Amino acid sequence: MSEENKPLDRREFLLAGGIVGAGVAAAVGVVVKDRLPAAPVDPTGEQTIRRLPVLKTLKPKPNEDDHVRMQRELVKAMAKPVEQRRWIMVIDIRKCIGCYACTIGCVAENKLPPGVVYRPVTTTEIGEYPNLRIKFLPRPCMQCENPSCVPVCPVKATWKRPDGVVTIDYDKCIGCRYCLNACPYGARTSDFGRTYASESAHGAPQGENRPVEGPSAPWEHQPNNEYAKSWRRDGHNSPVGNARKCHFCLHRLEVGQPPMCVTTCIGRATYFGDANDPESLVSELIVKNNVQRLLEHWGNKPQCYYIV
Amino acid sequence: MIGAFTLSNMGPQEHRKGLGSGWITFLWVLWAALLVAGLIGVWQRLMYGHNPAGYGSYVPWGLWIGLYFMGVAIAGGAFVFGAIGYVLGWPCFRRPDALRIAIVVSLAAILPAFTAVWLDLGRMDRLYLVLTSATFTSMMAFNAWMYNVFVVVAALCWLLSFAGRSVWLKPLLCLGAFLSIIFPSQSGVFFEAVATKEYWNSPLLSMLFLSSAAAAGAGALLLVRVILGPLGAKDEKTVEEHNQGLRILRLITVAGLIAYLVFEFAEISIEVWSPGRASVPVQFLVTGGYWWVFWILQLAIGAGVPLLLYVFSENKKAWAVGTLFLMFGFVAARMGILVPGQIEEQIHGLEQAFQDMRLVYSYHPTLTEYLVGAFLVAMGMAVFYVGLRLTSAVGSRSGQEV
Repeated sequence: MSEENKPLDRREFLLAGGIVGAGVAAAVGVVVKDRLPAAPVDPTGEQTIRRLPVLKTLKPKPNEDDHVRMQRELVKAMAKPVEQRRWIMVIDIRKCIGCYACTIGCVAENKLPPGVVYRPVTTTEIGEYPNLRIKFLPRPCMQCENPSCVPVCPVKATWKRPDGVVTIDYDKCIGCRYCLNACPYGARTSDFGRTYASESAHGAPQGENRPVEGPSAPWEHQPNNEYAKSWRRDGHNSPVGNARKCHFCLHRLEVGQPPMCVTTCIGRATYFGDANDPESLVSELIVKNNVQRLLEHWGNKPQCYYIV
Repeated sequence: MIGAFTLSNMGPQEHRKGLGSGWITFLWVLWAALLVAGLIGVWQRLMYGHNPAGYGSYVPWGLWIGLYFMGVAIAGGAFVFGAIGYVLGWPCFRRPDALRIAIVVSLAAILPAFTAVWLDLGRMDRLYLVLTSATFTSMMAFNAWMYNVFVVVAALCWLLSFAGRSVWLKPLLCLGAFLSIIFPSQSGVFFEAVATKEYWNSPLLSMLFLSSAAAAGAGALLLVRVILGPLGAKDEKTVEEHNQGLRILRLITVAGLIAYLVFEFAEISIEVWSPGRASVPVQFLVTGGYWWVFWILQLAIGAGVPLLLYVFSENKKAWAVGTLFLMFGFVAARMGILVPGQIEEQIHGLEQAFQDMRLVYSYHPTLTEYLVGAFLVAMGMAVFYVGLRLTSAVGSRSGQEV
């Protein structure tokens, strides 16, 4: 049977144009639709107001301790609907002594597994002996106003909350790691499912002194409370396989506590608060001349400020 | 059977033949070896998760993503030339069986590509969300939908090619060809869209991906058409048309490869004429840790050898061998885009700030990753074989020569 085909006739040509045109129109339509502002994913309004009893009996004093003041301002901010808050962090790197208490406090608070870090502190040597200085730079998530990690997510698993915190839905994240590449600050890390115990047992001799293997070590599976939910990693449950990042300890804010890194900073170098409150400590700090933001040229508008 | 499919079509003279039975046996042995090695890799991936792999959080994508983009390029290129050749009636392409082969090649490339990206996911169980919960602000979601629409269109074209003269076949081929041009170029945009990585954020990437898709797709068609030999009756006219078709494919492959090299030179030469720019990724690729991937694997083995074979040899088997080198070179080229783009530390000292094997700005594929790569190649060969068998079976049932 001859299978030679004939040239494209007019009907086929019109059909081809119609199908391709319809395809292009559909593609443009869905892209434009998803580019338009969408309704907030998170609850807003009255239901997000928290009337916390923290510090209720302690009267404000002039020149009170910065931490007491920040906690008082935090309680005040939580009494507003979420969309009226704007959380920011200010880090005074002149006061940072490179103790890593914030890094370790964060690991403990969020029960971070090996290879996952929300707040590393970089160390840079400046100059040469005898004119030598060491500079420390804590790097939490910048909670950018224009985050490059959000639009690349293919499944709407990450978004910016009305209070400015960029969050991840661990139940939705597919672990493609596109957001890790999009973040210029390296603020997102992937949870590859590792455990401390299995790694310490690796290669260790048998016997009673052998470290407990990962899967059977009970402390590896203590749930963390990120995003005010209980997450257990055993059985390959989320957040195993997910992208993870600093979230300004949202679960602590809900109960009137500042982020763990702020609490553990022994140099008092980390400040946190509501930038929408003109009387807050952070609002006073970010207008100073010696305030900078990291990698501003990318246009992400980071919400973490550095006093230099 | 592939044996029946190819050997029954062979004429008495060498130039009318596809590959001989010795080569077919070699391909079976190669496939079995790739499959066995590959299954070990897949088992390691499924048993131990991502732990045996070399990528981490600072270099999140590795070999599997490179192979994924390679598969997509072959699929797009093979389909577009098969479809355009059929619609425009190019010699050696005007027959429905030639079209079916192009579609089978395309699917045999894109299905392993899907598998590569699926194995790379942290949550393989949630792959379906890319389709059911897609947001089209993400190039990844857009590409995923485009690939899936393409697979459906390609499958429909394959089915309609058996239906005699269907009025829908050519329009659908035009849609498939349109998608085949768009998705390789949009694969470039996948990287370009990461505006915070200077090395990727260049519109030239789309052109690089498009030209490599043209070369790799035409090269893949050239390879399989050499293996299968002339289609249909073995008269002089058919054989001459077959040879003419192979020459067209060779020309497209060479043109695509040269276009790729020109675009790549344009990108890299910026460094030469702007020394103060000091792009870390370009230096890493050209003179740094990846120099051997660039100069030896990509340029010498992956571009120089195939160019020599295509240009200076009239032996069609040499062209087929050239295609294998070309594929290898384009995988190296993919890695030359992927890895240097990720090794640049934008915040100085981050790697030392919190030390872990997954928090490093370097990447080398591990044995497991190579083994999974072998599985993907074996899978592509298997899909191609099953596709040909299915084509043969459906064709026999519908009374068409296949």
